This record gives sequence, C-alpha cells and structure tokens, in this order.
Amino acid sequence: MDKFKEIIRQYPFLGFIIAFIILMLIPSVFFTDLYQSHLASLICINIIVAAGLNIVKGFCGQVTVGHVGIYAVGSYTAGCMFLYLGSSLWLTLPAAILIAGLFGVAFAIPSFRLEGPYLALATLGGGEAIRLFIENGDFFMSTYGISNISQPVIFGVPFDTPDKYYYIAMPVMLIAIYFSFSVLRSSVGRAFMAVREDPISAAASGINVKKHKMLAFVLSAMFAGGAGAVYAHLPPGYIHPNNYTVIEMVTFLAMVVFGGLGHIWGGIIGAIIITIVYDLTRPLYEYQLFIFGLTIVFTILFMPKGIGGFIDKYFIDRRFKTKTGAMSK
Amino acid sequence: MLLKTNKLMKAFGGLKAINKVDFELPANEIRGIIGPNGSGKSTFFNLVSGVYEPDPGSYIEFDGKDITNEPPHKVGELGLARTFQLLRLYQDMSVINNVMSGYHTLVPYNFIDAVTGRKKIWDQEKVIKEEMMELLSFVGLADYAELNASELSGGQRRLLVLARAIAGKPKLLMLDEPAAGLSPVNVDNLMKILMRLKEKYGLTLIIIEHILKVVMDTCSKVTVLDHGEKIAEGAPSQIKDDNAVIEAYLGKKMDDEEMRKALAV
Repeated sequence: MDKFKEIIRQYPFLGFIIAFIILMLIPSVFFTDLYQSHLASLICINIIVAAGLNIVKGFCGQVTVGHVGIYAVGSYTAGCMFLYLGSSLWLTLPAAILIAGLFGVAFAIPSFRLEGPYLALATLGGGEAIRLFIENGDFFMSTYGISNISQPVIFGVPFDTPDKYYYIAMPVMLIAIYFSFSVLRSSVGRAFMAVREDPISAAASGINVKKHKMLAFVLSAMFAGGAGAVYAHLPPGYIHPNNYTVIEMVTFLAMVVFGGLGHIWGGIIGAIIITIVYDLTRPLYEYQLFIFGLTIVFTILFMPKGIGGFIDKYFIDRRFKTKTGAMSK
Repeated sequence: MLLKTNKLMKAFGGLKAINKVDFELPANEIRGIIGPNGSGKSTFFNLVSGVYEPDPGSYIEFDGKDITNEPPHKVGELGLARTFQLLRLYQDMSVINNVMSGYHTLVPYNFIDAVTGRKKIWDQEKVIKEEMMELLSFVGLADYAELNASELSGGQRRLLVLARAIAGKPKLLMLDEPAAGLSPVNVDNLMKILMRLKEKYGLTLIIIEHILKVVMDTCSKVTVLDHGEKIAEGAPSQIKDDNAVIEAYLGKKMDDEEMRKALAV
C-alpha cells in the first residue's frame, strides 16, 4: 500500500487515470435510472464549485459569499453564447472560465481591505447584484430563463441525455480536481495557507499577500465559472436566475464547511453528501435554507474541521506514533 | 553597512515612538537592542521590516538598497527576516509546512508550473522538504514535523519561529524577544543554537531581549533605546556602566556580585 502511495505521489497523473477508469465504469454497474445519472452529473458540477471555493475560503481564508454570482456568470456566459452565437460547450466552457476569472478579480479587490464578516457582506452584495442584474436584463431573457441550451456532440454522438452527459461532466470534474491538487500541494498552496493563518508574518517571509489573495479569488472564480458552464449545458439545458440565490450559496458553503475547510478531499466528500441531501429535500424547499444553515452551525460548533479533519487527525496521529512510539496528546 | 537608518521617525498621533534614530549595522555582527517597555524597540523592527511606514524624512537602507517605503514582502524578498514578539505562528499548519512557507522566496518553480503540476515540481518539492527537515533537526524539532504548530509547547514554538525565519536563507535576521518565557536551560539551548546558526549561515543578527544574560553573552555591541531615542551604543561591558542606561533601564548600577546574580537567571 505504501509503495502504491509512493508511485501515485511520484506520478500524480497516474492516479487520475485510474480514477477516470473507475468513474467511467460506475454508471453501468450501479445506476438503474436516469435520475441517478442526473444526480451524478450534478455532483460532478458541485464538486468543481466546492473545490474552487475551498481554494479561496478553506486555503486562503477569505470568506466569500458571492461565489454563486460567479457561478451564474459562468452559466449565463454559456447560455448567452448559445443563444446569440449558437456556440457549443467546447467554446462556451473556456469563455465562461475566462469571464468568470475577470469577475474573480473584481471580487478580490474588497478582500485587500476587508476581513471576515465585512468581506462576507461585500461579496454577498456582489453576488446578489449579479443575480438581480441578470433577472432584470432582457439580454439575459430576464425571468424567462434560457432554455434548450444544446448538449455537446462528439464524433456525431450527441450527449443529450443525463446518462450520457455524465461522461462530459465527470472528466471536467477530474481535470478541475487535478488542477486544485497541483496548486494546493505546491508552494502556492502553502502561501495561501500562510495568508490565511497570519498575513503579517506571511509578508515577513516574502509572500506577497495581495497577489496571493488575488490568485486565490481568480482561480476559484475560474472553477465556479467552468462549473456554471457545464451546468448550463446539463440536459435539459435550462437556466433561470432563481438557480443562483443565497440558498445555493449556503449549499455550496455547507459542502466546503461540512467536508472540511482547507482539506482537499473534504470539500469533495462534502459536495457529494450535500448534493444528495439537497436533491432529496427538494420537496421541502422552504426548509432547505434552514437545514443547510443548521448544518453549517453544527459543523462549526462540534466538528470545526469537518469530515476532512477526522481523516487528517487519524492519519497524522498514526504517523506521529510510528515515528516516536508515543501519542502526541 | 548591511543595515543603515538615517533620521528614522515614526509618530503615533502625538507620541514619537521612534525619534530620529541613526543606526548602522555592519555584516556578521550580533547586535542587541535593549530598553524599557514602550521605548520603541518593536516599532524599530516594524519600521525596518516594512510593517509600518516611516514618517517622511526617514531613510532606511538594506544591503545597499533603499527600502524606506517598500512593502514587507519586498523587504523579506531582499533577505531580511524577522520574528515577532507574539510569534505569529501558522497555528493550523503542520510544523514542516510552517518552515516550508518560510522558504517561499527561494522556490525554484513558478505559478504556471504549480498549476500544471508537472513531475518536476514534485521532485523539487521533495528536495525542499528534505532541506527543511534538516533545518528542523538542527533546531531539534524533526520528530514533530507532521504535528500542527498549535500542538507544540511554548519553547518549541520559539524554536519553530526561529527555524521559519532562517528557512528563507536571510542575510539579516531580526529576533524580537527570542528568549521570552523560556526556562534557564532553554535559554542556554537557544543561545547555543543562535551561535551555531551564525557560524553555519554567516548570519547577521539583531536581538531585542530583556533577559540581559542573552544580550551580554551573545552580542558584540548593544544599542539602548528610551522614549524612541537612542541613548547609548557600545560594547556590553560599556553599556552596563553607562549612567544614562542605568537610569533608564537597569535601575541601578550593579556591582560584580549583583551582576553575576542577574546573569544567572
């Protein structure tokens, strides 16, 4: 097992190829109806958002509540490009990532001066402003939403049903996870954490605090934008401003907090669990905000590091034990 | 001169925290800064390292470059490292990550390399980690590398901030009360580590310290601040006989017997 781990660490790409093959096989083995495929695609999309949110919130420590706005930017970039230019996912995805990145710059600027709850308020305002702008703009089809957004076609095969679309969403998710792993395991990820823990002492170590806050915001905005585009093309290809409200934002936050802030796997596990719960509680629409709000509060109170914290603790204590023959606590 | 300040000034409202301080430090020296609480020692550090912006008319030069209005990360990049009185550890990061983030400016790959996550990066990360583990064993923390920094004891934390500051291979290291709260044995241990560091890395050091033993034994020269002004500068033996210093800081002149007692602490 240790040897296997070492090989994966040496060639991180190999691990993702193995994961790709396993995830390719899952639908044919486990899925029995279209609903499950649809949910799997949704999980993939939410994992992308959660992985991005984890960069800015979990690693860089910047409390942003406006991410759903950037997610909407991604979706509507894709939607409008389809509506006016007839573009397919292969064109709208990079465009959405790029434009969302620009919005990330705008969201990063308040973080230079604001912290904690104040930054949360500023970004919340930004996110809501984007949604209201879309809702009141005829260019964006206002409250009608954009419908019948096309699904991609590869070698003449249209990926237009939920069970086929999973094979689009899943690789995009894997690529996103790969990028987030690479960044967060490198010196850049360490610099993010240093900025989160103590900006003054990070600066004393030669870390450019503003630059890294900007990087974190832009990177995570690109993740959200990409996820938004994949979501826009998700069959039946319908987007509406109501899909980008504070409730969705709280859900995204719940994923990252429940999974474990600053823990890469934690965010992914959180996204899987919360997406399933979110979909199962759809009939209880009016209580959803309540449920996920409570989830965040209780996680922070009783399990501040989320599920990822448990994983971490288990592994680290064991490593320490093997090294010195004694427990730390 | 490695570090030079000219008419360094900083006022907080009406309080002149640092008032026209001229300071010169040649390379390879260990300099002590002493003075009563509120005399401007930490403010001096904050001004030099760029945390505070000095008042107009001040001039700071480090290694031949004007750093008067540079932001702290630029100063850090140039090779000036410091520790903080309140430590400012990265509490929720592992010990090894604390030290590795101190290495930030020397990391050989750039952001694009990091995003694409090529194999080259992982090899380089491995080399960095090995080097930092060596540094950790140098200060005696190698066994705790994977623990969270918040799980260390007070003495170990002081060693960790020291290791983090050295990780970036600075030319000048400024220590703000490195021995505060340490037991006598640990103070001796710290002094040994400091002397070995100086030899190994060719460091220049500035030490703020209230434990006189550290200042008297390790520093070749001492600067005394009081009310933001430099009131004396010279070898430790001269300083302890200086009338102005005695009045402001030491309290009374000590004879040899009392001095020995004071140093024994």
